[in-house]
Amino acid sequence: MKKISKKTLNSSFWRWWYGNLTCFSHEHMQTFGYMWSMLPIIQELYPTHEEQCEKMRTYYPFFNTEPQIGAIVVGITAGLEEARANGAEEIDDEMINGIRAGLMGPLAGIGDSLIVGTYIPILLGIALGFAEGGSILGPLFYIVVWNVTSTLFQKVIYNKGYELGGSAVEMIVGTQATAFRESVIVMGQVIVGAMAGSWVNITSAVQIATDSEGKAVMLQQKLDGAFPGILTMLFVLFAWWLMAKKNVTPIKVLILFVVIGFLGSVSGLLG
Amino acid sequence: MSLIQAILIGLMSCTAASTIACLGTTVGNYTLNRPLVASLFVGLILGDVPGCILVGMPMQVMWIALVTPGGTVASDLRAVSYIGIPLAYVGAKAAGMDLAGKDAAGLASSISAMTGVIGITLFYGTAMMNLIWQHIGWARLDKGDLGIIGKVDALFPLISHFVLSFLPVTLLCYYGADAVTEIFASLKTDVWYVKALITVGAVLPAVGIAILLKSVVTKTTDLIFFAFGFALAKSMGLTLIAATAVGAVFALINYQLTMVKAGGGGAAIDDDDEEDI
Repeated sequence: MKKISKKTLNSSFWRWWYGNLTCFSHEHMQTFGYMWSMLPIIQELYPTHEEQCEKMRTYYPFFNTEPQIGAIVVGITAGLEEARANGAEEIDDEMINGIRAGLMGPLAGIGDSLIVGTYIPILLGIALGFAEGGSILGPLFYIVVWNVTSTLFQKVIYNKGYELGGSAVEMIVGTQATAFRESVIVMGQVIVGAMAGSWVNITSAVQIATDSEGKAVMLQQKLDGAFPGILTMLFVLFAWWLMAKKNVTPIKVLILFVVIGFLGSVSGLLG
Repeated sequence: MSLIQAILIGLMSCTAASTIACLGTTVGNYTLNRPLVASLFVGLILGDVPGCILVGMPMQVMWIALVTPGGTVASDLRAVSYIGIPLAYVGAKAAGMDLAGKDAAGLASSISAMTGVIGITLFYGTAMMNLIWQHIGWARLDKGDLGIIGKVDALFPLISHFVLSFLPVTLLCYYGADAVTEIFASLKTDVWYVKALITVGAVLPAVGIAILLKSVVTKTTDLIFFAFGFALAKSMGLTLIAATAVGAVFALINYQLTMVKAGGGGAAIDDDDEEDI
């Protein structure tokens, strides 16, 4: 009965944690990172060089996902590889790559929306609060909290993947996990709104009338009287609409907003 | 800026080169690459930590959510963080702006957008150069050389970083700083084109927030939660952490409702898990 030693599993995990994207290209995104991570496991399970080379071929195919949540896939294949070395005949290249290919897409979706799209912005948002006035506390808070929680999370799901093998999938795409994920995203929507309200401030310089005392009546005051910051909100929604509904790339929206800001300032509408 | 300072900033840019960063995803891309964190290190190098953090904050707002689905990037922050922050800092200083003020923030956002475009070029350049190392890797693997994998993954890409992070960033910081100082020293903030630059800087963060909004909104009705959050901060004056607490209430209600609908019962969940998963 072969068993992967604790040391080898650790080395596999840290290689993935560090090297998942270090040799990124658009042809083989995380393939080399994946192979590097599997290498110690293959070398321990199979004694001869021929066998090692042959088993490494399993991991030649393309791999790419959100790499942090993707640690679970590396863990799963470590578990499967151990079972295969112990003679489980149903585990072949096709099955392993079926699992890898099947998990790439869903995990990328979850990782991008939850880790990169919600968790990191919330942490950065809190850190920006602490950084007010140029305080070093902001960056320090983010560095510590993000690295500790993220690394622990990756380690935990890697180990879970190794222990549970193929059935670890349920942990991430099951009913409870899905409900949890969707709920966190609701919180994310509220927070993004609060971020827009606190950090973005687009104002109009248009004067619409003069009152009886000869003072200027500004459009901005009237708008804020109806809904504070409505102009800012409309700009954010406009940019969102272009990207989400019209599939305009972020960089094009950025250029368009440079033009709008420039023309708005020159014409005196914005400022 | 001295050459040593420019070299140190150049080295930092290699560790933080977006998804390809030579310090990996968690530490490189998602820590040192973020403008808020970078501003601390640039501040240490330039000898003014609070000043650089103030310049870095509006840049961080602009790129608060940078999702790179399938390796297509909206921007590579190595240039924003390690070219944009030092140059914006030097420029704002030379113009005598209050670093905590609106003008400096607008200027920082504008420079952040420009350097973001440089970053995209550097990103695709690095990814292309890595193809060379990968081809070497496949050729050696065919001959049964398993040791090549680690070299291809962790060692050879350092050459890509030297060519496409270290050199451009160091040179742009070193020569750019003098040029920027010269331009900004004679600048009046009430000239029309400077005003325009600052207004552009005020408009641009809306795009950054919209990128973030796109990643959390799936159906149009979700925008109601966005408007709700906006009103919490703008009309009611809640801080971000307070708004997070209010958002968490809605998240919990949503979770329990969904679980009741699914027939699983709404079991309460541990707060610690919430941060990670």
